Amino acid sequence: MSLDVDGRSVAQEAADYEDRYGVTPARADHATLLRMIEDLLNEGLQTLVEPFPETDREFAAILDELRALSPDQLRAKLVISGWLLRPYGEDQMRCQECMYFLVHRRWCDLPELNLPAEPEWWCRLWRI
Amino acid sequence: MANLLWLQGGACSGNTMSFLNAEEPSACDLVTDFGINVLWQPSLGLELGEDVKAILKKCISGEIPLDIFVFEGTVIDAPNGTGEWNRFCGRPMREWVKELSEAAQFVVAIGDCATWGGIPATAPNPSDSKGLQFLKREKGGALGAGFTSKAGLPVINIPGCPAHPDWVTQILVAVATGRAGDLTLDEFQRPKTFFSSFTQTGCTRNMHFAYKVSSTAFGQRKGCLFYDLGCRGPMTHSPCNRILWNRVSSKTRAGMPCLGCTEPEFPFFDLAPGTVFKTQTMMGVPKDLPAGVDKKGYVKLTAAAKGAAPAWAEEDIFVV
Repeated sequence: MSLDVDGRSVAQEAADYEDRYGVTPARADHATLLRMIEDLLNEGLQTLVEPFPETDREFAAILDELRALSPDQLRAKLVISGWLLRPYGEDQMRCQECMYFLVHRRWCDLPELNLPAEPEWWCRLWRI
Repeated sequence: MANLLWLQGGACSGNTMSFLNAEEPSACDLVTDFGINVLWQPSLGLELGEDVKAILKKCISGEIPLDIFVFEGTVIDAPNGTGEWNRFCGRPMREWVKELSEAAQFVVAIGDCATWGGIPATAPNPSDSKGLQFLKREKGGALGAGFTSKAGLPVINIPGCPAHPDWVTQILVAVATGRAGDLTLDEFQRPKTFFSSFTQTGCTRNMHFAYKVSSTAFGQRKGCLFYDLGCRGPMTHSPCNRILWNRVSSKTRAGMPCLGCTEPEFPFFDLAPGTVFKTQTMMGVPKDLPAGVDKKGYVKLTAAAKGAAPAWAEEDIFVV
């Protein structure tokens, strides 16, 4: 059985989304996915904002972890990528300047994430 | 009539194959229209063994005036500085190279291997390879930093892996028709007419570069290949998007990142795992920025470009 970051089964996590939003992340529309992300983080989900991947090898290792996830493992995606609902660090890095962020679609185009995002958010896969 | 001799050292014959595909002018045009007499070429020469050796000796002695000596591939010094790993016509190739270079009016290095060592000279460089007058960025190479051919020019370097066929034939025509004086060379002895602009110059993805929209997979027609897929177009001097390959395309137009093969450091990062087809970053910022751009300027430019990016920049505008 595949387990999510908090030890629950992937199937259980999917069922929870189904109960709360009427849909799982894999099939949710943009607005619903956005709400799922905001709810998870506003309700206290702690993500791995550190260590920031200083090198490409470290960056690639995080991508490898993300690739192993199913589209319904939203919690794990957010945790592993170090997702935040605010800018981060001394330079106040944010999605708006990240090259994976599509400003009009408000979408993170990094294939391993492929999630809606807002300009003032951030994750440790930020690249400029 | 200009006599041309072409030899190969540590080579894959890629530049010969490229040369044979030339169109403007073609390899045949060199002979029929521009008076080039090909004394011998590894893929075209009819002579074998002692007959080749005789041609080489006559060139060195001056019995046959050698106008243009073209070399493809690295000069190999292994093992132990003897050059024995690359023997040709009875002795190490590097000895032929040295004597023929001294006898020639012009010496032309074709391809990365002959110019600065290319892939064979990548660390740990087991064949002890070098280019004719450079080893990567370091001047010297097999002929020494001070070498000039009889016409007074250093080695004319036409890099690339391979070099574009028309770069080769156009430079050979210039030399053969007495217009070598018109050639100006850059610090790496590349003809400026080809190597002053960048691979990015003329790239069809420049709009996506400007608006900071990234390609995230090979073959995507949307996005710029610089941000994620390791494209070196903004830092590489070449006319690949001005003089197209096969007259129709280029790497970047086809969705393949430029590997920077006309620069002395090619292959970059010594081909360490994870460095090819991946933009190398430090704390999220590319290690190699577009030529002439500093980090502060790059960050400001990105913020402005993202803020100004139009919606169409995020779409695949090439889909009919």
